[in-house]
Amino acid sequence: LRRGGLAERLCRLQNRERSAISFWRHQCISDTKTSGKKHKSGVLIVKILEMCEECTIQVAVCQQLEQTPATLSPGDAAVNAGEPILKVLFARETAAHLKSRPQDVILIHPPWQKLLLKNTDVPVIMNTYFSQKVLLSEHSETGEKAYSLTKMPIRKNVISLAQTFRLDDLGDALHQEPSENQVACAPQIPNNCDSKQHPLVPSAVNDSLLEMVESQGAVGWREVQVRVVIQRVYCLPAREGSRSYVQGNKPLAAPPTMNSDLPNVRLCLLVQDAYGMFSEVQLQSLSSADDVEQYCRRWEGRFCCLAGMKILQRTTRGRALGLFSLIDSLWPPVVPVKVPGQTQGSEMMIKELPPPSFCYILAVQSSEIDVEVDEEEQISHLYQPPAVRGLKDILQMDGCNERCSFWARVLYLRLQTKGHVPINQREIWLFVTDTTLQNVVPRMPRVVGVTVAASCVLSTEISEALSVASQRVFFKDALWGNGRIICVERTVLLLQKPLLCSAAGADLSELTGPVRLDELDSTTQANSICALRGTVVGVNERTAFSWPTCDRCGNGKLELCPQDRELLYCNQCSEVVVSPVLKMQLEVFLSCPSRSQSTVKVKVQHEMSCGLFVLINVLLSLQSYEVQSVLGKEVGLLNCYVHAVTSRPNCVGLEEIVLL
Amino acid sequence: DMLFSRLNFIFGPSAVPALGLVDQRAVTRVTSPSGRTAYQVLGSSGKPYTCYSSCHFCTCPAFGFTVLQKSESLLCKHILAVYLSQALGACQELSVSEEQLTSILLAEEEDEG
Repeated sequence: LRRGGLAERLCRLQNRERSAISFWRHQCISDTKTSGKKHKSGVLIVKILEMCEECTIQVAVCQQLEQTPATLSPGDAAVNAGEPILKVLFARETAAHLKSRPQDVILIHPPWQKLLLKNTDVPVIMNTYFSQKVLLSEHSETGEKAYSLTKMPIRKNVISLAQTFRLDDLGDALHQEPSENQVACAPQIPNNCDSKQHPLVPSAVNDSLLEMVESQGAVGWREVQVRVVIQRVYCLPAREGSRSYVQGNKPLAAPPTMNSDLPNVRLCLLVQDAYGMFSEVQLQSLSSADDVEQYCRRWEGRFCCLAGMKILQRTTRGRALGLFSLIDSLWPPVVPVKVPGQTQGSEMMIKELPPPSFCYILAVQSSEIDVEVDEEEQISHLYQPPAVRGLKDILQMDGCNERCSFWARVLYLRLQTKGHVPINQREIWLFVTDTTLQNVVPRMPRVVGVTVAASCVLSTEISEALSVASQRVFFKDALWGNGRIICVERTVLLLQKPLLCSAAGADLSELTGPVRLDELDSTTQANSICALRGTVVGVNERTAFSWPTCDRCGNGKLELCPQDRELLYCNQCSEVVVSPVLKMQLEVFLSCPSRSQSTVKVKVQHEMSCGLFVLINVLLSLQSYEVQSVLGKEVGLLNCYVHAVTSRPNCVGLEEIVLL
Repeated sequence: DMLFSRLNFIFGPSAVPALGLVDQRAVTRVTSPSGRTAYQVLGSSGKPYTCYSSCHFCTCPAFGFTVLQKSESLLCKHILAVYLSQALGACQELSVSEEQLTSILLAEEEDEG
């Protein structure tokens, strides 16, 4: 700063003022209450009628009072006609200190300044650094405290660009030369305090999510409605925070154990506005995901109006990989989107538009749906239905974390229990196939494993259906990456194909004939299923054991009858088990020509065993495990689940399974 | 002093830097034969910024951000310096040809383009 210059003078003044203000404030605290006291002349007493904020300055329309009201209650809203109206400006720091609201009475100590503008009658009071709020009574003090805890939203008057650029008064000849007595920007302070209309609220419905989000915080934003297209409907687990794992096989941090009556999933929509911007809207909490199929059918592709949304978060690509992988699958938009500043987008522009890098997550304010879905109207052109592909194409995709949709038959289901994980945290492995894989393709597996992570919400209908019989399931928006297909949050499993889906050359025909599994060979990996044939070369006698089970209910934990220690008793049936079924578990070593280098160890259970059934039956009937008689026997095609594959020693551990 | 105080109150953080610019005589009014005017202010980095005379506009990044985007301020320090220099008669004067003024006004647009 130049020595002796104006800036230096102002700097010194600023410092003087700052210290004066803090000194005065300190003094105020130690002062006694001010109600009813007569003040020194020069003190301005005002009651706030209305407040708004403009460019960080708080503008309060007030009424000047003669003296401090002694017994005025805060609820007294009557405006005395005779009292003059003032517009008082408070600097940001003063306003934060005062925390005033309408109907408050403020004492403004000198030095303050009055400004009379040319065009208006209402005088402006400035330099209100030494302001104090009048505490009216004992009662209101505690009320004040409670009030000040809740941050009151204050209307922010946004000066429109038209005003800044003076587009309204282009007719004006020259802008006036400011004189020394008048603050230069005075003509620019618009009298917007009086207008009830918020500048951004049109009476028509908006079509920009960004505008709605940016107008939040201002009074009247609740009336802003945005019209959007619902691209996807799905359920998210209720506790999902902003951290979403892409490799969904890691269970989320354990929430309390699931109580089926409590809401633990949230219905969510992924919406897109006319400018191509996406937003995830969280609707009400549901206790289960049972209706999601219905919502998908009714709502996807339709227009809906959002109003009065609460902004939960503005998330970016790096923080919400799962969400953005879904957004990427819907990019670029299929119809031209609007570009701010232009009325119509062009075809060429779509291809050049970069995918979005941020997304707002909104939520409804109350438990009622603030979202009106227009179910009557036609499907929007902006809607991109899931693109169904054959599994063969998906396995050949070289992207990472790409969303894909397919229609496949589930052959086998396995729950992965790693340690003590609660039921709702378990991962489910599904082994699926479709016609594209079953028709023999070199170097492609016939069956592929799909991991269903705990974050992927399944409806009870699907869960039950999957465990009972082989089902055709539509996997909507599963993730493909690192050579695996996983179902994570935002993936939806449906029992029926949705009405709208684009099948780009995918073969969606039903599988004919029996399903064939890949045969055990050198490329077989752990956690897959395969078929094998071989010769018995050994039996692991150490791990063989048998146990009786109830013939009625299959209960494997039978007890000895208290009365007669020779008989067995089943708790579940509450009856004596007369003829128990003997189950036996046995590990058999096979020599398989398809994988001749490895020791193949197959765990078989008596009841399920098909190929080995006859052999074991023979053993049992003889009441002895004649290993010799089993050796060398040929075993036909067994369906197995591969537990582990180790290279040193070269061993494959399998378990015989029954396909659905 | 009273004036200073009022300036400070309304303009807050822009006031001192604006006065600094006035002290340095950094504001130049550029006029052309047709009567068109523009203001050029030498910023603290030495870079000249153009301010329009017909409305509030300045080519500095602070204007675009605090005024246009966030509506946190009414003007930037350059525009305030223009007003103050006018009031104090501390503007430097420069007459240029039409083409030169046009290029001043247009050059900024190219930068932003």
